[in-house]
Amino acid sequence: MKEYAIETKDLKIYYGKKEVIKGINLRIPKNTIFTIMGPSGCGKSTLLRSFNRLLELNMDAKIEGEVLIFGKNIYGEDVDPISIRRKVGMVFQYPNPFPHLTLYDNIAIGLKLNNLVKSKEEMDKRVRWALEKASLWDEVKDRLYEYPASLSGGQKQRLVIARALALKPKILLMDEPTANVDPVGTKNIEKLLFELKKDYTIVLVTHEPAQAARTSDFVGFLYLGKLIEVGPTKYIFEKPKNELTEKYLTGSLV
Amino acid sequence: MSGYKTRRGKDISFIIGITILTFLGILPLFHIIATVFINGVPIIAKKGISFLTNTLSNGGIGPAIAGTFILIFLSSLIGLPVALLVGIYAYEYPESKIGRATKTLLQIMLEFPTILVGVFVMSMIAIPMGTYSAIAGAFALAIILMPYVAVYTQEAMREIPFTYREASFGLGLSRVKVIFQILVPLSKRGILTGVLIGLAKVAGETAPLLFTVGGLYESYPASITEPVGAIPLLIYTLVQSPSKADHMMAWGASLILLLIFLLIFIPIRLKLREVRL
Repeated sequence: MKEYAIETKDLKIYYGKKEVIKGINLRIPKNTIFTIMGPSGCGKSTLLRSFNRLLELNMDAKIEGEVLIFGKNIYGEDVDPISIRRKVGMVFQYPNPFPHLTLYDNIAIGLKLNNLVKSKEEMDKRVRWALEKASLWDEVKDRLYEYPASLSGGQKQRLVIARALALKPKILLMDEPTANVDPVGTKNIEKLLFELKKDYTIVLVTHEPAQAARTSDFVGFLYLGKLIEVGPTKYIFEKPKNELTEKYLTGSLV
Repeated sequence: MSGYKTRRGKDISFIIGITILTFLGILPLFHIIATVFINGVPIIAKKGISFLTNTLSNGGIGPAIAGTFILIFLSSLIGLPVALLVGIYAYEYPESKIGRATKTLLQIMLEFPTILVGVFVMSMIAIPMGTYSAIAGAFALAIILMPYVAVYTQEAMREIPFTYREASFGLGLSRVKVIFQILVPLSKRGILTGVLIGLAKVAGETAPLLFTVGGLYESYPASITEPVGAIPLLIYTLVQSPSKADHMMAWGASLILLLIFLLIFIPIRLKLREVRL
């Protein structure tokens, strides 16, 4: 049996009594970019947050079914959500570097507070490594001790990607990472995704079909909490099997 | 066109109206400050620096100033840690029964008659100890300080956008680390504002000290388990005296109290390094 980066089994999510994710079976292969696309409010962000148990910050949310990360159910009884979140990093819709920390500390804080790095040299190395991975090092190497307010939206978002990478996760979840970034920044981030794919599995959420088409290997179309269609990007965009997918892609889905 | 003129006329008279009312509203503040300066400056000018250091019979309020600072310090020591934790609790568990009750109780404590706090501390600490003391006064002031700092802490933390909370947990941090290492530092400006407002409040309190600290104006305080003085309490005592000289001293003490109050309050307006979100 092939082991997937992420696999869900009849995953259902409720907010209070309302069912927002309605039984999803999904397999995401390793080292690919998998895009979940769909209109606003279809449950994309909710689904994404169930992959690293960040959904639990919302007291109302209830989860049924299984989410397997590299074959292991993360909702099993003896699983510590903290260890899951270190393995499955996340980038958010709003570029959210910590405003009160320098660029350096933004990258270092996860490592420092988790006691994952012992010496200052090791930390310097890891910060540089993460910034290089996020293609930000050259732009910020001379101002590591400035605050993120001085960065552009796209740079902030790459800083946040570096912050997530610093913990050396296996999977990177991205919730509309370019929604608040200008076109140049968007291009840079999308270019970066191709680089990162070599080492990480990336799950991208977007409401922009064009972005899904540009960046991903696989696409899943989510509509009203149901996974309507999944497949290689090319097939979904060229010959969608489902009428709803076609409507969505042509912009005629109401 | 005449419609425009009428509207414009109404608009202008409205603005003039609220300007005058606003001015009347804040006039007492300026009047108080001016009166305190006009009456306080001459006595301090006459006595010079000794007004700040001498004992009362030598024409100074040194022990009262020392007492006020000791009380501020001790009440912070007792009140601030509790306040911070209560505020964090109210922020972190807003939907829990205790969390909701905490918020309501804090609101009540904010407006609670302070003299009742004084009576309470007298019966709980001063009477069992058999003496008035700095520590009793500090407890009373800590009870008054606590809700201010707690409410400001909770509000400051509530203003942090949810995305920073998600980002912190997303880094695989425990709740304790998220709160104390990221969210509290992130809202330190708001929390500090609450601390300063609380301190400014207790610096000027009189009622809770009436039955707790006793008063000490002829020597400097030597122990926190013995009586101390405080500037507001001294003013209260001096004003009751029939002697004109005592009234002069009260004005001088008032000016010092006002300056201490402003000293605590002004940093709130001068910004600490502002965090831009």
